[in-house]
Amino acid sequence: MGDPAIAVLGLRKSFGAKEAVAGIDLEIAAGSLAGLVGPNGAGKTTSLSMMTGLLRPDAGKVLINGVDVWADPPAAKAIIGVVPADVRLFERLSGAELLEYAGRLRSMPAAEARERAAQLLDVLDLAEDAKRLVADYSTGMRKKAALGCALIHNPSVLFLDEPLEGVDPVSADVIRRLLTRYAHSGSTVLFSSHVMELVEQVCDHVSIIDKGKIVATGTTDEVRGGKTLQQAFIEMVGPRAGDEEVLSWLGSSSS
Amino acid sequence: MARILVQLKLRLIANALRSSTAAQTSFIFSILFAFVVGVGGFYFLSLFRGLSASVDLTTVIFCAFALGWLVAPIFAFGLDGTLDPATLALYPLRTRPLAVGLLAASAAGAWPAANVLALLGTTVGLAHGPLGVLFAVIAVVLQVLFCITLARLVTTSMAGLLHSRRGKDLAVFLFIPIFALIELLGQVIPNAAAHGGITAASFAGVDAWMRWLPPGLAAHAIQDASDGHPGTALARLALLAVVIIVLGWLWVRALNRALVTADTATGSSRLHGAGLPLARYGLRGAVAARFWIYQRRDPTSLVYWAMTAVITAVVSASTLLGDTGPHRHPGVVIGSAVVGAGFVGYFHANSIGLTGPSFVTEAAALTDRRSFRAYFSGQNIAFYVIAAPLLTAICIGLAFGVKDPAEAVSAVAVALAGVGAALGMSNILSAGLAYPMAKRTGSPMRQAAQGYGSYTFGGILGSVGGVAVLVTPVILAVAFTGSVPTAVLDPLLIVCSIAYGIALTFAGVRIAAAIAQNRLPELCQVAIQSTA
Repeated sequence: MGDPAIAVLGLRKSFGAKEAVAGIDLEIAAGSLAGLVGPNGAGKTTSLSMMTGLLRPDAGKVLINGVDVWADPPAAKAIIGVVPADVRLFERLSGAELLEYAGRLRSMPAAEARERAAQLLDVLDLAEDAKRLVADYSTGMRKKAALGCALIHNPSVLFLDEPLEGVDPVSADVIRRLLTRYAHSGSTVLFSSHVMELVEQVCDHVSIIDKGKIVATGTTDEVRGGKTLQQAFIEMVGPRAGDEEVLSWLGSSSS
Repeated sequence: MARILVQLKLRLIANALRSSTAAQTSFIFSILFAFVVGVGGFYFLSLFRGLSASVDLTTVIFCAFALGWLVAPIFAFGLDGTLDPATLALYPLRTRPLAVGLLAASAAGAWPAANVLALLGTTVGLAHGPLGVLFAVIAVVLQVLFCITLARLVTTSMAGLLHSRRGKDLAVFLFIPIFALIELLGQVIPNAAAHGGITAASFAGVDAWMRWLPPGLAAHAIQDASDGHPGTALARLALLAVVIIVLGWLWVRALNRALVTADTATGSSRLHGAGLPLARYGLRGAVAARFWIYQRRDPTSLVYWAMTAVITAVVSASTLLGDTGPHRHPGVVIGSAVVGAGFVGYFHANSIGLTGPSFVTEAAALTDRRSFRAYFSGQNIAFYVIAAPLLTAICIGLAFGVKDPAEAVSAVAVALAGVGAALGMSNILSAGLAYPMAKRTGSPMRQAAQGYGSYTFGGILGSVGGVAVLVTPVILAVAFTGSVPTAVLDPLLIVCSIAYGIALTFAGVRIAAAIAQNRLPELCQVAIQSTA
């Protein structure tokens, strides 16, 4: 195996007394479609923010295709695309204007940015809504528009935080097929998700994060160890349910 | 049902009290303010006693209260859960008892009580004799009932819209007339009244048409009863009662419909245009294009420009209305220009917090000092092409208003230099004093997030103070070149002021880029913490 596309070494971040990320190490090979899974508050978003140069780590190193994100942020940003969990776009631009703007921010000539924007909107099934304000887009349309913005400069590594949360099955399928095709071309994808079935289905590499630490990482088959990923995940992070006996009245159909 | 909904309203208020120290403080201030409005309103209305225009003034006040009831719930739509039919649509409730309950819930709370207390001032200010006082009490009750029913009808009918993006835009736009009204009532009228520009007699006859509005019927009923015409008074109140019944009937119908209608009334219109403008100018052009589009499409941006115009005009208008003689206030329009330019700077002094989380997309392009310069100068281009003509037009208008057209040139020169200074200052403050913006319940406009109030103060001080200091050379140039012929001086003054302003903007861009270059992750965090 050659140099990893993403290498994370001893990454740490604390917010006051709370240690959100407690020293994670991670290697994702080029061409991988990798999943980062973990319960709520495990440190997924904080980790991805530090990997993409959006949040300054307390300690540690992140290398993207050998480029140190925090030593040379411009070089790293030039080769990555990011879709954050809480997709916030320029609401008062139309879909076409938004993607063109994202391209022009990446120093693309306006004509090329406009052409690529049209092609991406077409593939993302947003062509009919290209001239509508992003403010009027549904959740799924917004996720797809954000993905378009992240892909317009053809990055070699793509980070996505909960890309399919709140997305309808049809839009989810469009996103899933686009990511698979992108990874098969040799580019790398790292995305966080709660949806184990999705990760199991599309990812060739999985990392499980809990309480700010990577508790398992490897190929999807290695991590799940003969079980479903859901089962393996629950075993590793532990069940967190309350006592259900108190709900004895539920389902009796009496008031 | 009425009891449950009143309890719900009181519980919502109590829970807001428990939520945080800020909420408690806000609640206590709200109660105190309601008390002041109630007692102050009572006192104010009682002052009309014996005035020839007392019924006219009372009519205006009654109409103002009705307007307040009409507008406030649109702002408070997300704040008061009992206003939104969608929150009650899940439960098996019949419309009629629900309507009665919602009406009772509306009447509960400090503000309705303050409203009643204030309007009862008419028992002193307008009513005469026992019959007059009796009619005043009934008229006040009907007036408050009218206000509540009207407010309920409007919010219920608009519930679908108020949930949508367009409804939220509308709430933001309503900020403009309310801000203008606050400035008028808080600055212009008191100042004009203090200088004799406005007296009680100025209101005589203003109710020529207002008297036929429902609030006018209530006010005139009190007058009629006091003047010994109880029949006419009764007829007016009966007409008002009919209006309330009709509004109530319409409201019940609207409520019936709202309970079974989807609340997503978001219509989206198709935009025209081939793409972003300024295609040839790289990052600077892209940023200028984005900011230019936002100045037209973003309600908050439009509100900021409207507020700038109002503030600029008010600085001179209060003086104009107070002292009407020509040449009485040399320099007042220049003062307007300085304050207007200062607020141009202040309203854009936190551009990253205002951009919100989508700044992260722009941050991908901000890789070095040069790109930051392009970013800041791009937004300055968009702001300048609006601010310069806007302030120029206002200054010329104000100069003609004070009957001193010669002051127009001096004021425009100061404004143009001031806009340059303001944009430079706003860049520096955006880079060095960025803070997250948050939308608070009850306000359609975003404000500094909790704990960042002092940053707002810093922004005002930095922008207005900075502009005042930086335009001093232009003001001095105006003062010391009075003897030079205007044909020579005026063009020179304008050109030099523009050049000086642009030089200040360039300096601001360079300083801001140097600051921002080392703070990009922190600026991204400010953006992420902001509400879009």
